[in-house]
Amino acid sequence: MHDGSGRIVVQGLTKQFGPVTAVQNLSFTVEPGSVTGFLGPNGAGKTTTLRMLLGLVNPTSGTATINGRPFDKLGNPGRVVGAVLEAQGFHPKRTALNHLKVYAAAIGVPDQRAQEVLQLVGLYEAANRRAGGFSLGMKQRLALATALLGDPQVLVLDEPANGLDPEGIAWLRSFLQSFARAGRTVLISSHLLAEVEQTVDQVVIVSRGQTMYYGPLETLRRSQQSRVLVQPSDPATLVRALNEAGVHQVEQLPDGRLAVAGMDAKQVADVALKASVSVYGIQEEQVDLERLFFQLTSGQYTGAPSPYGNTGYQGGPPTGGYQGPPSGPMPQQYQQQPPQGYPQQGYQQPGYQQQPPQQQQQYPPQGYQQPGQGGFGGNA
Amino acid sequence: MGNLIKSEFRKTLTTGLWWGLLIPTVLLSFVLALAFGAAGQSFLDFVSSDDLDELSELFGFDPGSWTLSAFALARAINVGTIFPMIFGGLAIAGEINRRTLTVTFLTAPNKVSALTAKMVVYVAWGAIYGLIIVAVSSLGVALTTDSAGLPDAGGWLGIAGTGLIASILVTMFGVGVGALLGSTVGTTLLLTLYMLLAENLLVLWLSTYMPYIGGFLPNGSASGLTGSIAASVFLENATGTVTSEMEYAVRVIAGAGTGALDWWASGLVFLGWTLLAFFGGWAVIQRKDIT
Repeated sequence: MHDGSGRIVVQGLTKQFGPVTAVQNLSFTVEPGSVTGFLGPNGAGKTTTLRMLLGLVNPTSGTATINGRPFDKLGNPGRVVGAVLEAQGFHPKRTALNHLKVYAAAIGVPDQRAQEVLQLVGLYEAANRRAGGFSLGMKQRLALATALLGDPQVLVLDEPANGLDPEGIAWLRSFLQSFARAGRTVLISSHLLAEVEQTVDQVVIVSRGQTMYYGPLETLRRSQQSRVLVQPSDPATLVRALNEAGVHQVEQLPDGRLAVAGMDAKQVADVALKASVSVYGIQEEQVDLERLFFQLTSGQYTGAPSPYGNTGYQGGPPTGGYQGPPSGPMPQQYQQQPPQGYPQQGYQQPGYQQQPPQQQQQYPPQGYQQPGQGGFGGNA
Repeated sequence: MGNLIKSEFRKTLTTGLWWGLLIPTVLLSFVLALAFGAAGQSFLDFVSSDDLDELSELFGFDPGSWTLSAFALARAINVGTIFPMIFGGLAIAGEINRRTLTVTFLTAPNKVSALTAKMVVYVAWGAIYGLIIVAVSSLGVALTTDSAGLPDAGGWLGIAGTGLIASILVTMFGVGVGALLGSTVGTTLLLTLYMLLAENLLVLWLSTYMPYIGGFLPNGSASGLTGSIAASVFLENATGTVTSEMEYAVRVIAGAGTGALDWWASGLVFLGWTLLAFFGGWAVIQRKDIT
């Protein structure tokens, strides 16, 4: 029925819910033997993508295959792929063991397997308790137990750390790593890079339904860039001067400082001097992985695709998504930005209205003023 | 497919719904059978009393040959099948409501096989409910009716058999409606209100313009399965004059619908409604994004 490779291939996947494009021309490959993180802010289309991969949502166009076959051509899919999805339900009156026996029968594995997976996820004590009384963390474990029933080659997990205590997260991390080391495939989605950073080898970063980065986490880590934090007397003038000097990656921090990428502190100070702007403080800062993630997933802050272009973009569509003004309604990610570090109001302030038009295009103001009625692909 | 059928059976047996609905099924069918049976018997006792006997003979009636119990049996079975219909209605609507449909589809080769397995299992449940409904209804009627007033074995088998078919079909009808609506509350309310109330009012309202419409609507055609046989049993046994007006009245009483179709015709009409609901629901589930 299938090639047994354990490879997940997503090609040109698009899903439209009415006027909202939840996933747009998404492509990536997940190789066996590794844990791949599927990252993006809430509403980026992660859940929708995973559900299309699992045959639960019908794609508008494009294909998603596991072992070279679409989900409904896998034969007995429970033996090939196990999935832990958000909003996955249990009958509240059915006990954990009975729940597993129902699906053990469907997959065609012996009932004894239900006991094994309960033991595996640490729910053996709760085997005869009804799922309705379970905590979120216990439900997550039961969902994982269900996914493991058929001893699958591929595991797909959508935000599995939700509701797990730190101990549970640590256990899940080591479990997934050993699962992958056995030559199997793990695809795990999260909206927090930090949550999966220690678990994953590869990452697919999506934003607004498009691939932003796809490749090894190590490559992304190496592309870390320093930036300069500078406190000028006249930010507007300094921004203009920096733009003239060819530096367009400038951000306004909440404390009034500017964050400049692509120049070292000395060069920034020289530019400021030339522009007759006083510098009250200047400091170089290493950009961490989390920040890179923000830059990749929040379209407005990555005006130029160049900094990571030579390292990361293996398969993602580099056009449209983060250069021009976004087309179509915006998903909810703009309402849910983490508050620290990257204030979205930065370039809407009056002081920056004299920016060159080209700059305006890179920081399209209209995009953020209409957050739209997103919510698809999120945590519904 | 065997695996999926086993899985679907376990699904129904690992929660309390099947017996939770079986209790009112048994109670209602039994109580109605007792009540209808007793009412029929006391009516027969009344018209057979000495004074009225002469009057009946004058008109050519012979109440002693009236098997009113056939109607009691058919009616008790009809009303009892409301519960397997709700049971069917919750099959898919419940899975949508509880979001278990996701795992059901993840562990089945495809949606078609998952739904087919469900169909097989609910046909079986419809039959199980049907057997129980027929049994307790028969018991209730037998307890309240003199042996002379009971239908013969052939008549009883006819009513019991159509009752079983009706129970299976209404269960499938429920499964289809539940899939179409996707809501447990909506499905239960719609099925109960429509079958018990709305259609009767509709037929009453339309009776002037379309006197035969009743036999072609879901409830009328489902009732017509057993009702038609009950009417035939009555008319075969009744000696003396049976006018066409009387025959018509008998069929209406029997719940064979004002269309007074034969049992097989009623069955075919209701099968049509069942297929419509079932494949309608099937198409909805096939195209639905399970989110």
